[in-house]
Amino acid sequence: MLRFDRRLLLNFDWVLIGAVLVVALVGLANVYSSTHLYTNVGTPLYIKELTYYLFGAAVALLIVSIDYRVLLTLNYPLYIGMILLLLFALVFGKTVAGAQRWINLGFFRLQPSEPAKLILVITLASYYYRKETGKGFTLLDLAVPALLTGLPFILIAKQPDLGTGLLLGFIFISMTLFVKLRWATLATLLCGGISAIPIAWKFFLKPYQRQRVETFLNPENDPLGTGYHIIQSKIAVGSGLIFGKGYLKGTQGQLDFLPERHTDFAFSVWAEEWGFFGSVLLIICYFFMILWGLNIAISARDKFGVLLAFGVVSLIFWQAFINLAMVMGLLPVVGVPLPLFSYGGSSLLTNLAGLGLLMNIRMRRYMGTS
Amino acid sequence: MPPRPLAKINKIDPVELKMLKKRIDIAMAVIIFSAALLLTRLWYLQIYRGDEYAKLSEINRIRIQEIAAPRGNILDRTGQPIITNRPRFNVVWNREDAPNPDEVIKDLAKILNEDISVLLDRIRAATENPRYMPTRLKEDIDWETLVNIENKHLSLPGVRIEVMPSRDYLYGDFASHFVGYLGEISPAELEEKRYATYQSGDQVGKQGVEKIFEEYLKGEKGRNYLEVDVHGFEQRQMQLQDPYPGNDLHLTLDVELQRVAEEAMADKAGAVVVMEVNTGNLLVMCSTPPLHLQEFVGGISGTAWNRLLNDPLNPLLNKTIQGQYPPGSTFKIVTALAAISEGVITPDATFFCGGALNYGNRRYGCWKKGGHGTVDFHRALVESCDVYFYSVGMRLGVDNIAKYANSLGLGKKTGIELEHEKGGIIPSTAWKQQRYKEKWQEGETLSVAIGQGYVLTTPLQLCRMTAAVVNGGTLYRPQMVNRITAPDGKVLKTFSPVSDGKILGSAHSLGLIRNALVDVVNSPGGTAKVVKLPDVLIGGKTGTAQVVNLAQVGGMSEKSIPYKYRDHAWFTSFAPAEKPEIAVTVLVEHGQHGGSAAGPVAKAVFKKYFELKNGIKTAAEGTPPPVAPDEKDE
Repeated sequence: MLRFDRRLLLNFDWVLIGAVLVVALVGLANVYSSTHLYTNVGTPLYIKELTYYLFGAAVALLIVSIDYRVLLTLNYPLYIGMILLLLFALVFGKTVAGAQRWINLGFFRLQPSEPAKLILVITLASYYYRKETGKGFTLLDLAVPALLTGLPFILIAKQPDLGTGLLLGFIFISMTLFVKLRWATLATLLCGGISAIPIAWKFFLKPYQRQRVETFLNPENDPLGTGYHIIQSKIAVGSGLIFGKGYLKGTQGQLDFLPERHTDFAFSVWAEEWGFFGSVLLIICYFFMILWGLNIAISARDKFGVLLAFGVVSLIFWQAFINLAMVMGLLPVVGVPLPLFSYGGSSLLTNLAGLGLLMNIRMRRYMGTS
Repeated sequence: MPPRPLAKINKIDPVELKMLKKRIDIAMAVIIFSAALLLTRLWYLQIYRGDEYAKLSEINRIRIQEIAAPRGNILDRTGQPIITNRPRFNVVWNREDAPNPDEVIKDLAKILNEDISVLLDRIRAATENPRYMPTRLKEDIDWETLVNIENKHLSLPGVRIEVMPSRDYLYGDFASHFVGYLGEISPAELEEKRYATYQSGDQVGKQGVEKIFEEYLKGEKGRNYLEVDVHGFEQRQMQLQDPYPGNDLHLTLDVELQRVAEEAMADKAGAVVVMEVNTGNLLVMCSTPPLHLQEFVGGISGTAWNRLLNDPLNPLLNKTIQGQYPPGSTFKIVTALAAISEGVITPDATFFCGGALNYGNRRYGCWKKGGHGTVDFHRALVESCDVYFYSVGMRLGVDNIAKYANSLGLGKKTGIELEHEKGGIIPSTAWKQQRYKEKWQEGETLSVAIGQGYVLTTPLQLCRMTAAVVNGGTLYRPQMVNRITAPDGKVLKTFSPVSDGKILGSAHSLGLIRNALVDVVNSPGGTAKVVKLPDVLIGGKTGTAQVVNLAQVGGMSEKSIPYKYRDHAWFTSFAPAEKPEIAVTVLVEHGQHGGSAAGPVAKAVFKKYFELKNGIKTAAEGTPPPVAPDEKDE
């Protein structure tokens, strides 16, 4: 089944691997820093994270070894599987902090909304590849991909996990803008989108979600309630100054003032302990990885590869941007992790699988297209 | 496996490639712009306003302390408090507040009169908690120790006194199975949806009313917002949100009546249930031996728990709803009702009891070895003649008996709100087919007719049945709570009687049974003469439930039969006979005789009930106690 070509090895993308490794090592060190004080029982979280990394690397290697074109036949089975998992999580899921997000597999608690992001990328790439654009997409042409995005969006938003839901929306918008849109379609969508915001605000958002946005706009109004996260995170980042407080010495993180500090707010811990210097390095490393991904997209051998690579890049970009903007107080607090950096097995596996796809596309750029 | 054919795919059309490239360039621009935005923000936070934030991180930290809410009180039907709260003082320790912990712990151990290793063990056990979370070193210290610690406050940095409301059991183990107890929430419970807002360390109801009405009793936690410095020392209190106490639960139980029942049962294992016949309200729910609630405060110890588990008297079982026993002769009420209502006998029809009935190749004995002679319906019930009911049972058939038993609420749960209620068993031909895949044997009907064989009932079921028989035929759902009131006295919820329908059987047959039951207590031949009260007419039925086959203990004198093989004693009753108000059902495990073992318990309850009632009347209306009713059968 595996037709492994030796030429593939020559095309291994060491730059991509290098960038991922740097972020991974830094991320692990950071998980250790943010959790070593309060996990004296059971497996330490950084060991768990390392295990996820090794497992994720194996998954990525497996993905690299199979030509990505099989996804053109696998895309709908994957999609259906994802929908079933999301439904399952909604019905039987474990409740963590009031949201039903987890499926307990015994050895691992899967958060199906994480792989759902990647599967949506695959689904949309396949759809747009098959659909002849001609003069560009009309509003009607968009009905199917909008539906494909809307279904998981609703299931995830119902958990409720608005952050991940919105992320699916961003992926959809990015990929749709990337394939050709008619100007008229674009204009209609823009007007529709803008007028939908107040309606969504009034009817769709739950009170706590509205409160989060209001808090974001004016955190000092509620310093002890929902504004607490944003203020504490900004203090953590800001107090890092130029060179930081030193590894394992961040007071905000270590003294437990920073909530979710090993997951969504992992970057705050990093910024506090390593300062402007370390933070800039990390951000540059990230964005280098993302730009490199775009380079992979444009050098792919076929259009499916281009679309797929672009989708994966948009997935990683949006997660990173939303998370970083959130911990720096530029966006409201929504639960989006920093890829490869926040603690969490489901997210890590998803992002490593995505990077595996990128590598896959990269390695086959000179291969035949038969 | 043949290689999976890959989708045929074409190289990109150069024109399209050019367009895609253009869009990739736009994407790159967006990404670079985003990166620039983030880096600018980073510069703004860390460099431009960095000093401000650094200062904030030094001095301005907010810590949120939770304050437990006092739980709602539990009161009886007259408003008498049964369970309230008292403050409990715990010694807690905040490791981040103490510069030299070892010294402090040493001093503290001396004051608390504890071994230092005990305290250190506690600290070690709590290392998984976040650092700022205080560790409890000793619970429920007395006033003297409290004053001592407060005096030395300055030399004990990091040591604090935590005030927690705790349950105060005003009547000790009063109705212990029924009210239940509290305990620290378990990891398994934390996963449950109903406890979504709880945190580890919180107290929750673990059993009984405390658990069922947790939602009403728990109240709202308060929050104390504290500003602390970089070392965790408190700077000032920013804001205090007082806890909001839980709601009060007004039970249907009557403190005085319950106490009388518990005293009467003090040296016995068993159950007493008292129900208002016209509402279903439970006045007494007593199961003995009781649980010692004080043992459960702050978590029960392993040895105490094992002792409870292995106790042959089974104190963990709430016998009122979980104890399933053969009803014995009390079940003759059911057989009698079925027989008259179905018309298989007339009240005047007689049977001859010679001390036994031969059926098939077996001899079915009457409890009275010499026989009752010729008996009609009334005498058969009054003197509890087994042979009469064997004959009647045969005419009825087991399915007819089951039909009436079910309509009287037997063989299924009563629907009381308590957890783990048992439903008992009422056998029928279909039941046996389903359960044992065997055909019903006619001989088995004879055992069922006198409440033996497969028949199992709980004390609550029998009490409810008795109530339905004497209240005109309405089966009420047992109620245990009258109303729930908020701390300000506002009534949040009231519970009104719930009818579970009418029982089968004509008013005529119910009247006949009621008359016979009155004679059980009041006529010379009755089996429960000991229960008779001078000024109130009581009716009832005794029952003796075999635990083992007679053959095993036959020939032994009553005292020499081992305790666990002795018969259970039942008495189910009502009063006043003219216009019944309450039904009293007593079960004494291995009490041997319904009349002599269970009867006096019921008598004590009736006596108290009418004393209270008349006493209240005298006080309220200033009228003398009513004249004793006529006693027709003396």
